[in-house]
Amino acid sequence: MGAFIAFAVIAAALLASAFMAVSTKNLVRSVLWLALTLFCTGALYVTLEADFLASMQVILYTGGVITLMLFTVMLTDEIHRVDRASTSGRRMAGGLLAACVFGAISAVVWVSDLPALPETNTITAKTIGRSFMTEHLLAFEALSMLLLAAIIGAIVLARRRDP
Amino acid sequence: MPLSAYILLSAALFSLGVYGALTRRNAIGLLVSVELMANAANINLVAFSRYLGAAEGQALTLFTIALTVAEAVVGLSLVLLLYRSRKSLQVEDAAEMKG
Amino acid sequence: MNPLYLALAALFGPLLVAVLLGVVSPLRHTGKPAAWLSVFAAVVSAVLSVVLLIEQLSMGGALVDSQVSWLPVGGQSLVNLGVHIDGISAPMLVVVTVVALCVQVYSLGYMADEDGPGLGRYFTYHSLFIFSMAALVVAPNALQLFLGWELVGLASYLLIGFYWTKPSAAQAALKAFWVTKFADMGLLIGLIVLYTTSGTFGWDAATVTALGTTGATWVAGMFFVAVVGKSAQFPLHIWLPDAMEGPTPVSALLHAATMVAAGVFLIVRAFPIFEAAPDILTIMAWLGSFTALFAASIAMIQTDIKKVLAYSTCSQLGYMVAALGTGAMMGGFFHLVTHAFFKALLFLVAGSFIHAVHSNDVKDMGGLWSKMKPSSVLFIIGSAALAGIPGLAGFFSKDVILEEVYESDRLVLWAVLLLTAGMTAFYMTRIVMLALFGARSEKAEHAHESPLVMLAPMALLAVGAIGVGYGGGTIAEMAGIEAYQFHMSMTGYIATGLGLGGIGLGVWAYSPARRSTGVFSAMAPAVRFIRASAVDETARWLYEQFLLGLANTAGWVDRYIIDGLMNFVAWATIMAGRGLRRGQTGVVSDYVYAVIVGLIMIVVVKAVIG
Repeated sequence: MGAFIAFAVIAAALLASAFMAVSTKNLVRSVLWLALTLFCTGALYVTLEADFLASMQVILYTGGVITLMLFTVMLTDEIHRVDRASTSGRRMAGGLLAACVFGAISAVVWVSDLPALPETNTITAKTIGRSFMTEHLLAFEALSMLLLAAIIGAIVLARRRDP
Repeated sequence: MPLSAYILLSAALFSLGVYGALTRRNAIGLLVSVELMANAANINLVAFSRYLGAAEGQALTLFTIALTVAEAVVGLSLVLLLYRSRKSLQVEDAAEMKG
Repeated sequence: MNPLYLALAALFGPLLVAVLLGVVSPLRHTGKPAAWLSVFAAVVSAVLSVVLLIEQLSMGGALVDSQVSWLPVGGQSLVNLGVHIDGISAPMLVVVTVVALCVQVYSLGYMADEDGPGLGRYFTYHSLFIFSMAALVVAPNALQLFLGWELVGLASYLLIGFYWTKPSAAQAALKAFWVTKFADMGLLIGLIVLYTTSGTFGWDAATVTALGTTGATWVAGMFFVAVVGKSAQFPLHIWLPDAMEGPTPVSALLHAATMVAAGVFLIVRAFPIFEAAPDILTIMAWLGSFTALFAASIAMIQTDIKKVLAYSTCSQLGYMVAALGTGAMMGGFFHLVTHAFFKALLFLVAGSFIHAVHSNDVKDMGGLWSKMKPSSVLFIIGSAALAGIPGLAGFFSKDVILEEVYESDRLVLWAVLLLTAGMTAFYMTRIVMLALFGARSEKAEHAHESPLVMLAPMALLAVGAIGVGYGGGTIAEMAGIEAYQFHMSMTGYIATGLGLGGIGLGVWAYSPARRSTGVFSAMAPAVRFIRASAVDETARWLYEQFLLGLANTAGWVDRYIIDGLMNFVAWATIMAGRGLRRGQTGVVSDYVYAVIVGLIMIVVVKAVIG
């Protein structure tokens, strides 16, 4: 029972904040709603007993990405911090398409045989770490290379060029 | 909770992200929508990981989080460049690849 | 020495020289050395041909019959190419090479004023011609003959148009090519019918049986069309007078002795086929006789000495065709051989005169007897041979023809040919009187005799013009014709009488006292205009209407339909491109849109197909 209520509350918050994030015209507000969405995602992870992941989510996303986005938004002029309304036609098409996507995935869910919830959760930070260091070591290393590249790239792109 | 609930939740989040990607005319707004879509995928992954008892799901989720962060970083620096040259964040103002 | 190798050397020597001179321009541009090279090849060919003839004399059947398969189809050979020397091709080969040699040596003198490149080009074409004509003569089957035929046509075109800066020469070359090419359709169709009906390109008895009468008639008829063109019979004679635009030695070689005789040679070669087609033979007899008369009458009124000889050639070829049309081979073939010698001689001497007075017109040539005695004597010998004076070659061969026509009970044609013989004597005497004994014109004042390099070949040909007539029996024997023995018959007497009468009339009409063209001048314009122009005008009209019309239609189709199709494809591509370009808005959201739509489509398709 408790799990159900928790899920329902978190899910509602999640969807509501996501909806606000995509509809509000004010850019700063949009980013802040995104922050809330990401936080709710973290909460959702907790209900799935993925504690390590939940903490990572909060740290990286809510802490890192949102900060980044806010900074970028702040670097623009006030006047540009609005999103001009798109045409209603566009919005209708967008809504229709989004509905189609949702419908497609639901259809898949409908016809599929999904597994039931196992009693105990076997995944801990330990198992994840072991998985990283043994089976998926290559991916791990590659990821670190990628992060390096991203950092360098971002610096190179965004530095102020001498006139 | 049955697994389908989580999947439908992630699907809804994903659709919202799609809606945002299609309607937003602002570059940063676009990035926000992309973040939403990535998160929806992550929820999906973690849910499956729990229900199938596989650690790979969560490992993969960590990967995607890292990747998405990197992508957001680079994307934002590009947005910054865009703003600097065109003094506008509107996507239509960057339509030089037209035709 | 293996006769096959001799024959191959005789054939390929000139070809080698032609290719060498054709490809290596610096060698060709040297002029005189190139000429000597060509002459050397001609000497080799002539000597080897004579050797082959001597060897053939002592052989019963064919001396050389060596073939290589050319187009292997399904393991078998479609056709062979090779060398076939027998009693017919051996003497013909000698005629071709010896006359060609004389003409080439003569050209060293006649064409001496040409510059280096021009001279080199001239001799290259000559060497090409010797090879082509020889390949035609030694052909073992009709296809190789056709190859040689077309090649000599090419050589003729090149040589007639040798002075290509002269528009009249270029047009004459084109006219010759067009008319003979039109007639060559006949040869081609004949070849096709021959092959599809009998399965071979040969002309022996077995082929004839396979053809049957209708087949033989078709093949012989089509071949004859080609002969009409190549040997300048009416109505396709129109190219021969124009072909006189080429240098005189060329006229002597190609358009008197050898190339135009190729048509007659074809009939002789394929005679078994012709014998099986009596309808065609009848047509040949009548057309040949008509041409003989028709051309002789035009020759009587020409003032250009080369045109007289051209029409005379036409007339004599008519004799040969008529003779073959009676179904007997001897007359046509014998006359072919003798005519080659005396007509070539006449042309070369005419060239000598032309060279001396720098004009073709006989009116500019009066009184050359005293100025150029050796040439004049040779001219008289040639004219006498042509007119059929007893003792000279033309008499013997013409006699055979007249007797054959008489024995085939075609008395009308016999009378026509006798009359033509008289006319022949007359028009040659006319030229002799006007050029040699007439009143001297200013141009003739400066005339001087030709150098030895020109006189020697003429003298050699004169020997032939006198002596070849006595070889009639040998020729008949070699060719496998029934034994020929000369004897003087009623026909002979009548012919001789008419000949002498013609000479007498000519001497009387054109004696120095009566220098003007007097008696016949009133008729001449009308006669000339009607006869020569009519055929020319018709040919020109046909050419313009049909050929040019066809060409214009083809051009229209090419421009609007074929090119139109291409242009349409290009236009459609551009339109499609423009349309598709509108999808590229440059706005990122639109691209995301496209991605999502694609994603949905993939999912749907996967769900449906499964």
